Amino acid sequence: MTTSSNTASRPGWQRGVLDALPLLGGYIPVAISFGLIASQAGFTALEATLISLLIYAGASQFLLVAMVASGAPLWLAVSMTLLVNVRHVVYAPNLVPDLTQSRAWPWLMHGLTDQIFALAHTRLAQLNHHDKLGWYTAASLVAWASWVLGTTLGAIAGDTLTQHWPLLDAVMPFALPALFLVLLAPRFSNRLWFYTLSVTIISAMVLALTLLKNAAIPLAAMAGGFTFYLLSRPHNKPEQTHAN
Amino acid sequence: MQTDIWIAIVVAALGTFAMRAVPLLWTQRHFNKHKANNTQAQLPNWIGVLGPLMIAAMLGVSLIPKVNSMAGWSATLAGSLVTVLVWRKTKTLGLPVLAGVLAFGLVFGVSTILT
Repeated sequence: MTTSSNTASRPGWQRGVLDALPLLGGYIPVAISFGLIASQAGFTALEATLISLLIYAGASQFLLVAMVASGAPLWLAVSMTLLVNVRHVVYAPNLVPDLTQSRAWPWLMHGLTDQIFALAHTRLAQLNHHDKLGWYTAASLVAWASWVLGTTLGAIAGDTLTQHWPLLDAVMPFALPALFLVLLAPRFSNRLWFYTLSVTIISAMVLALTLLKNAAIPLAAMAGGFTFYLLSRPHNKPEQTHAN
Repeated sequence: MQTDIWIAIVVAALGTFAMRAVPLLWTQRHFNKHKANNTQAQLPNWIGVLGPLMIAAMLGVSLIPKVNSMAGWSATLAGSLVTVLVWRKTKTLGLPVLAGVLAFGLVFGVSTILT
């Protein structure tokens, strides 16, 4: 992705903060919803905040809280939470070629959410070596802080907030698809990627409308992978042999 | 909250962290081994392809409006178009997102009032 030249001179951490700002539009309303749902399920504001601080994985937190509240066996609730988050295993290896040598990286992976991965996957390759650690630390801290503070706010005053600004709750989450769209846009100029990404996006939409949202992501990525494989396969048909 | 629920939360947190951090350590070890042998390490092709595919899948899922109505879908279409158009013009990250959200909000608000 091409970046604006006026941000290129800033230190890495400042660019990280700026790049993470669009995420807040998606994070804060969802975190407020989580805080609200957790408090309705019987968790205190402190407990809901600690869940966001420690687990920090949106969809799985909703699932965990709902299962605990419904009295499901805890081993099942934990297993389902981990199953929802299993997609994260492919994120970090994708970033390794662009990372620097620092012992901090494994610890910073706590902040590797879907959105931070999408941002880092594009941005890290464009940054100078000495800016990368600062950029990632700042971007992931901004996102993490917004998620944790949003949860606290939702647990304390979620009811009032959603009643007063229902439109904001419906509009702000569009920041996430808009961000993903911008991150993927440069790839659409390549024919192979155009078809692959189109199949993936459409599959994800269809699956999310018909199945669980969390099954839609890995299944759509598989459909996209299959498309990529089919389209990138060399067309070396075996030559016709004429026996007679 | 009961202790067993806290244990469940801590196990879920540690498991999630492990799924994020352990593959990093594995891949770094693989890259460092190649570096020590003076050979070029490369990610398996499928991992490199999977990165953009996961982002595309997340895009598809997140495109479904929270309010599944005509207003929601019109706003999604308008927001997406404006995002892409502003990106093509500016090639930046924040401005297209902001413009897209504003377009989404405008169309959603107007459609909600009209219907």
